[in-house]
Amino acid sequence: MSEVSGVWADLVGQEPTVAVLRTAARAAAARLAAEAAKSAGEGAAPSQPAGRSGMTHAWLITGPPGSGRSNTARAFAAALQCERQGCGECTACRTSLAGTNPDVTLVRTEQLSLRVDEIRELVRKSAMSPVGRRWQVLVVEDADRLTEQAADALLKSLEEPADRTVWVLCAPTVEDAVPTIRSRCRLLVLRTPPTTAVAQVLQRRYAVSPDLAVFAARASQGHIGRARALATQEEVRARREQVLSVPSKLRDLAGCLTAAASLVELAAEEARAATAELDATEKAELERALGVTGSGGRGPRPRQLQAAQKELEDQQKVRAKRLQRDALDRALLDLVAFYRDVLVVALGASAELVNEELRDDIERRAHANRPELILRQIDAILACRDAIAANVAPLLAVESMTIALLEPTRR
Amino acid sequence: MKFRVDRDVLADAVAWVARSLPSRPSLPVLAGMLIDARDGELLLSGFDYETSARVQVPAEVTSEGSALVSGRLLADISRSLPAQPVDLTADGGKVVVTCRSARFTVQTLPVEDYPELPEMPTASGIVKGDVFANAVSQVAVAAGRDDMLPVLTGVRIEIEGSAVTLAATDRYRLAVREFSWTPEKPDLSATALVPARVLADTAKAFASGSDVTIALAVPGSGTGEGLVGFAGISGGTMRRTTTRLLDGEFPKYRTLFPPEQQTVARVETAPLVESLKRVALVAERNTPIRLTLGDGQATLEAGSSDEAQASESIEAAIEGESLTIGFNPQYLLDGLGALEAPVAQFSFTQPTRPAVLTGLAAADAEPNTDYRYLLMPVRLQN
Ligand SMILES: [Zn+2]
Repeated sequence: MSEVSGVWADLVGQEPTVAVLRTAARAAAARLAAEAAKSAGEGAAPSQPAGRSGMTHAWLITGPPGSGRSNTARAFAAALQCERQGCGECTACRTSLAGTNPDVTLVRTEQLSLRVDEIRELVRKSAMSPVGRRWQVLVVEDADRLTEQAADALLKSLEEPADRTVWVLCAPTVEDAVPTIRSRCRLLVLRTPPTTAVAQVLQRRYAVSPDLAVFAARASQGHIGRARALATQEEVRARREQVLSVPSKLRDLAGCLTAAASLVELAAEEARAATAELDATEKAELERALGVTGSGGRGPRPRQLQAAQKELEDQQKVRAKRLQRDALDRALLDLVAFYRDVLVVALGASAELVNEELRDDIERRAHANRPELILRQIDAILACRDAIAANVAPLLAVESMTIALLEPTRR
Repeated sequence: MKFRVDRDVLADAVAWVARSLPSRPSLPVLAGMLIDARDGELLLSGFDYETSARVQVPAEVTSEGSALVSGRLLADISRSLPAQPVDLTADGGKVVVTCRSARFTVQTLPVEDYPELPEMPTASGIVKGDVFANAVSQVAVAAGRDDMLPVLTGVRIEIEGSAVTLAATDRYRLAVREFSWTPEKPDLSATALVPARVLADTAKAFASGSDVTIALAVPGSGTGEGLVGFAGISGGTMRRTTTRLLDGEFPKYRTLFPPEQQTVARVETAPLVESLKRVALVAERNTPIRLTLGDGQATLEAGSSDEAQASESIEAAIEGESLTIGFNPQYLLDGLGALEAPVAQFSFTQPTRPAVLTGLAAADAEPNTDYRYLLMPVRLQN
């Protein structure tokens, strides 16, 4: 296999997908060259059967959270815009990756669903020629959050694509995408990247120690963004440690209720930490874009400023809520991993433990409890995730989970 | 950067560029207007990735340079200034605007993040601004407004040498206008599909100037493909704009015009429009008006028998068989309005086939076929 470089370098452990996309980008470039030669009157374009079959106008990239769906989509967009199919250095590559290329539109939502008007706007765009000389790439990062109406709007455009428009949709699993949409896209499945690959990237990119890199890679269970946060942010590691201290606090009913409250509060804290800075930056950017100087000054205020500020604040509120939900879900997944480690030891399997550093506690539990009980504990956590996804009040759901996690021997 | 410019010149130029700025920029810099001061002139630019606008105005430049500031804000400020020379100075991260006793400080956006404006396509020609604006307005009326059918929201431009054809359709009506222009190269052949709304705005903006240059890409030239450009002198300043084209197959419209006609009726446009407006008052939503042609009269009827009803007749010169046909009243009004002629000619084959409207300068004149408006009939309930 050729060395992976340029825009593909940071797609950790996704070699098969990268190979498909590189072939597609080359085929796309060949098609542009053939078209240019043809319209410049250099006779009929050479037929490119192999090249053509490598490229298509609609893609669906699926993969578990953190496997790099949106990074993959951006890398592909860059490769389509780049004269050298993704060198990683030219303006086309840099702007495509950063989301500032006129011909690359990235749509993601921090809301719970993608609104139909956002998709309609995208469909309108999809009918246009590219600004530059190559392709127009429309990336929908949360295709699983399309409302039914929005999916219908999108479908039309997928069925009758404009010549130079490429759609790249992303979703966690293929089942998350509406079947009619799925059937019109070429599917790419990202895998959970192996721990060693993630650790290598952490060391290379963030210069963290090998031990810390391996710990973060393992603890993140292949979620690259999470691994980066664990490797580079002390407070993220501290919060995770607190989450994993929950099982040892479940000694009685009172302990369960306290632990539940602290889990929910930890998630809220994480969401606050993530949004506070972002909110301020966005507000400043908005004001800057509208030309407001300083604060509280008597500078001129454009008329639409207030409306724009209100809209931004509303979006930020919804985002905070979603981030809190995501953070709580991550905490629950950390707990699932903990109990799965216990089960692995109890069953005598020789798999790698996610929480190697908690081996003592894990082994003690594995010996004290029957596998059936451990399985029930894992089920209780999964049930809690489902309940929260179904809009049950988070504290209520987490309380009933911690109570279900109580181990009878300690009662 | 430091320069002095006439207040009206600045306000006009800024307002024109600000028109094309996005109200919700996808990137903060796209809300910006680029001010570029060079030797004796000022370039103001705006770009939202779809439409770009650039205007060139004379200015006393004491220090060359460029700055990016909020376009809307600059428009609000320049509009509010008194009629005195305006001084602009870049000062660190700010631009200071002074005009007599008024002084505004505006924060700048990072110039280095601002995208390059697209190049103007290379193949071009010239047409009078008012001719172009008029032609576009006659055609744009028939363009679709549903973004889910993007191809129909465009106006098709076809160029064959000195002949230009504009066409638009929303499937219920089709408007086609032909005019001549002066191409740079006599054998120029090109087509483009331009979003109707943008085209109508642009054409209107150039209507008062003398000439408009229209620039299209020659296929395979590599420059400006996917774009159409317009340039012209307006208000004493050089203005240019580019916009992205729609990509897709425009319906084959020429074959929609029926080759022969069974009935031809000529009616004075103004009285017909008046009658139509009155009769349409009682037409329920989405119901047609009924037009009967025969015995030297055009009769308009609307309404159901048990609710309100209306009926009016006006004089008509009719050749061929009598006929009754239903139309959407608004679409008919649009067509009669777009004819811009004192007399309207209707050509029919059958009540189930489309009718064609053309305009005449007088009742006994030849129809002017530069503009044709084809209207689909609506089936009449008994
Ligand atoms: Zn590149």
